[in-house]
Amino acid sequence: MTGKLVLAILLTAAGLALAPTPGRAAGILRFGQNAADIGSLDPHFATGTQDRSLVDMVFNGLVRYKPGDGSVFEPDLAPSLPAPKTEGGKQTWTFQLRKGVQCHAADGVPAYELTSEDVVYSLQKSADKNRSAYAADYTGMTVEAPDAQTVKITLDKPLSPVLFFPKVANYSGGFIVCKRAAEKLGAAGLKTRPVGTGPFMFKSYSPQERVQLVANPAYFRGKPQLDGIDFRYMPDLSSRELALRNGQLEVINGAPDKAWVDKMKGVAAVKVDVFGVGEVAVLNLRTTAPPLDKVEVRKAIAHALDREEFQALFGRGIAENVYSPVPARFLPGGLTREELAPKGLDYPTDREKAKKLLAQAGFPNGFPLEMNTSEMTSYRVLYESMQAQLAKVGIHVNVRMVDHSTMHSLIRKDANPLVIYIAWRPNADVYLTQFFHSDSIVVTGKKPNTNFAHYDKIDDLIERARVETDAAKQVALWKQAQLRILEDMVAYPIQYQNQVYARSAAVDYGHDLVSVLALYPGITEKTRLLK
Amino acid sequence: MVRYVAQRLLFSIPVFLGVVTIVFFVVRVIPGDPATAALGDYASKEAVEALRQRMGLEAPLPVQYLRFLGDLLRGDLGVSLITGASIREQITHALPYTLELTVVAILIGSVLGIPIGVHTAIRRNRLADYVGRVLSLTGLSVPAFYLGILLILLLAIRFQWLPAVGGGGRDDLAETARHLVLPALTLGLVMTASVARLTRSAMLNVLGQDYVRTARAKGLREAVVRLRHALRSALIPIVSITGIWAVSLVGDSVTVEVVFARPGLGKMMVGAILQRDYTALQSIMVVYTAFVVAINLATDLIYGWVDPRIRH
Amino acid sequence: MPLAAGAAGGARSELGRLWGTFVRNRAAVVGLALAVLVTGFSAAAPLVTPIDPLEQSSRSRLQPPDGTHLLGRDTFGRDVLARVIYAGRVSLLVGVCSVLLGGVLGSGLGLVAGYSGGKLENVIMRGVDVLMAFPSLLLGLTVLAVLGPGVFKMILAIGIMLSPAFARVMHSSALALQKREFVEAARAVGAGPRRILGLHILPNVFGEAVVLGSLWTASAIRVEANLSFIGLGVSPPTPTWGNMIRDGTPHLLNAPWLSVFPGLAILVTVLAFNLLGDGLRDVLDPRLRE
Repeated sequence: MTGKLVLAILLTAAGLALAPTPGRAAGILRFGQNAADIGSLDPHFATGTQDRSLVDMVFNGLVRYKPGDGSVFEPDLAPSLPAPKTEGGKQTWTFQLRKGVQCHAADGVPAYELTSEDVVYSLQKSADKNRSAYAADYTGMTVEAPDAQTVKITLDKPLSPVLFFPKVANYSGGFIVCKRAAEKLGAAGLKTRPVGTGPFMFKSYSPQERVQLVANPAYFRGKPQLDGIDFRYMPDLSSRELALRNGQLEVINGAPDKAWVDKMKGVAAVKVDVFGVGEVAVLNLRTTAPPLDKVEVRKAIAHALDREEFQALFGRGIAENVYSPVPARFLPGGLTREELAPKGLDYPTDREKAKKLLAQAGFPNGFPLEMNTSEMTSYRVLYESMQAQLAKVGIHVNVRMVDHSTMHSLIRKDANPLVIYIAWRPNADVYLTQFFHSDSIVVTGKKPNTNFAHYDKIDDLIERARVETDAAKQVALWKQAQLRILEDMVAYPIQYQNQVYARSAAVDYGHDLVSVLALYPGITEKTRLLK
Repeated sequence: MVRYVAQRLLFSIPVFLGVVTIVFFVVRVIPGDPATAALGDYASKEAVEALRQRMGLEAPLPVQYLRFLGDLLRGDLGVSLITGASIREQITHALPYTLELTVVAILIGSVLGIPIGVHTAIRRNRLADYVGRVLSLTGLSVPAFYLGILLILLLAIRFQWLPAVGGGGRDDLAETARHLVLPALTLGLVMTASVARLTRSAMLNVLGQDYVRTARAKGLREAVVRLRHALRSALIPIVSITGIWAVSLVGDSVTVEVVFARPGLGKMMVGAILQRDYTALQSIMVVYTAFVVAINLATDLIYGWVDPRIRH
Repeated sequence: MPLAAGAAGGARSELGRLWGTFVRNRAAVVGLALAVLVTGFSAAAPLVTPIDPLEQSSRSRLQPPDGTHLLGRDTFGRDVLARVIYAGRVSLLVGVCSVLLGGVLGSGLGLVAGYSGGKLENVIMRGVDVLMAFPSLLLGLTVLAVLGPGVFKMILAIGIMLSPAFARVMHSSALALQKREFVEAARAVGAGPRRILGLHILPNVFGEAVVLGSLWTASAIRVEANLSFIGLGVSPPTPTWGNMIRDGTPHLLNAPWLSVFPGLAILVTVLAFNLLGDGLRDVLDPRLRE
């Protein structure tokens, strides 16, 4: 009796196993993202990679970063890029709008043509701290609609195009939401129901499982080649990898790990893409926390660390060393190793020197430090590696592992004397302002942001660079500011980490991948699945 | 029978209330403030204050507790602190994955475990018995999530017979079933081990008792003795054992869902824990409690059905 | 018959008889040997392996097993074998301590309930029913989610989880013993409840508690592995078997040794305590001896 039953169960299981996977719509691209769920699909709150990639497909900006290459601006909702004018002593930027751009239909709001009213609404929303996470970037900006097809932006202080266009590009606060839908849905509704003008339209959301998008047949650049996107939340890498290998997914977020990349490159019908922009990992040292208030101690820490050891955790090509907080590889204003080495500001690894510096500062036997790390791999491995490296000069770090968002709130309360922060910022000004301007000091600053070092010595350089319209002079000021940072050793730049995605060989993104701000390969109306 | 059912149902209520109350108070002793914990990143003081209001954290604890019970009575499970989405909707979505998994696993566990237990008891001290005992003790010692990993390595990676992860689309029955096989097998095998082991000892107990010997002495055929008499009276402890292991299997289903990335209640629960979504955590525990109480109730009812004496 | 207090013939020969029964049970001897081996290895870890389990070498990460690193290296280039050996410390510490905590707490409650009877008994045992009706892993998860990670907190959570099971068994033993002649005799000569509990009941349930303790150490180690696997265990870089498996899962396809070996360690350890518990039961509780 037992035997027969077992046999019956095994046969049923085998039958199920061998049943062919039934067909599905051929033009749906299935995308496995490294996240458990959405954070927010309101583009002005979408700060996580998983959200940035989705809103990128649903919304447009007035201008856009060229797909696959974030260093070039192209027209988007505006058919051309304007040049700034000066009116009444103030800088103005006037955008014409493309005609016939349709807002997606949403529950109870039929599709309608996007006008300057929507753009004004959207940029004002971005500037409102209750309705946007990026409000600080939009202060001192007035937006008006002289007519239905024209948007005029007036700035209190002039900006160079390098600093202005990112505010109206398809990234963060620059995404244009459709006013009628936004008002109907309200703040809570927008979180899970994005309504824009992009190539793909929201179809459905199943928490912790997926978001489905369908092609927007009325897209102004033409009907997308894909029928839709099935965006799956799969925080487990091996799950995503297996699903890609078995043909259940077309694109997956991979591991920033050379071992993984090399292995996947060997798999038939799978392609791996490694591309920028590289998020920069910087160690911020709190200058007000004893014993870190002594510059010798901070320099000792810098000399105790080994960039090569950090890099080997991910592999060359996946991670690359950086020597200044602004990454020279991607942004004007960064400093290279060659520029810094003659001054010794690249801080080469020298643990003997580190010990001497510690002894000079009065800590010949080192000292203990307490801190928190996110459980997210990219943070955890850096903290754990730092822990082992600092132990070699007698600095004993006790690391507590907490949830990612908990770490974010803890470090903003000065819980960590050493803060490793991994971030991409669109230009040197944002990097320097958010991390090193005294207004941005956490807890005590005027507008607390991410100045974990409590550093206040380069405010004038940052402010002068911001309003400098001569590009070369601007870059020189940014470099000068960073030399100060390194001389005072308030931040030890570790590395940048490239994006790693794998795809089925059938996927053609429709553009080459150099650097993408949204940290995903970029899916547009041109993306297609080859037979 | 009706009276028995009613009596059991009534008994379930205090158990349900008890666990739900424990959960409520455990969640309230969070160090720090759940509202701050939930908002994280860019939260302003006003936003935290607003959320505290919305969560009703200003009210005294007894008031919060009564409100909580009132909401439960109305079937209101609150909204997620992270996404603001209805938790009831999320649970409705996740629950089928967990129900299918546990029910199929319990079936595998009983359908394999009981016959194996009976068989090894009859074949006591023979090869089948030894093999069975070693396997069931091993099964009892292996954490379910580790068995799941081994099955993935073998059946999904080495042989690529089955999908390792995910839940399969809800709209496609074959796909759903294929995704169910490995996780259900994982949990089912763990349960099989314990059920087989305890069934065996229950059977041995009965086989040694007087009336079985009497039946044998009366010259009844051995097979009849075993099945009619022995199995029947061993059935009561077996049902109770199966019930206990079915409940413990619900606990194991959490890590198994994590290993197989199955979008069920367990995965939702771990997600809620990592995101510090305490409203969701609390509501998920309420649903688990209801589920476990239902399993206990079912066990009691099967009891009553198997042994009429219990009903009285 | 439970281990009788003050049985005639001297305690020594009684122990000798028990030991004789125990060593005849081959499975139990294997269990004891394995348990001693695992405990010894992790307690004397620095003597067993010269390699520091925390020593990183990221340049040689994820190297497969070879002559010097028998079980390969992990994502930081740390030696997996050394980590497996050291990880036993946390798992065993949590396993044993939580059972001790649960045993003392639960047995205390159960004995008091069984001996006192009446309202107190009702309150305690209904509470136990409620907790028993629920999967311990789920309650442990909730408690730890709130407390946060850490060895001590884990012991607390698992200990509390285990206590109702001890309480229930001890309660029924106490009930059964109440009616036995020697307890009634003691009561007849005017012994107080504390004396009866301490002198007559406690020694008699001790054997049973040891058996349960051994079996539940096995469960506790399994639960610890589950909690660590989910990420609620101790903080890095301290290795535990559960967090090693967890850290290995992203590399299941290219470095399966990261997860497979710590899992085997759990399996062997839990199996050892299960075998040992079974053997002890056969020795100490002859009613169940086959």
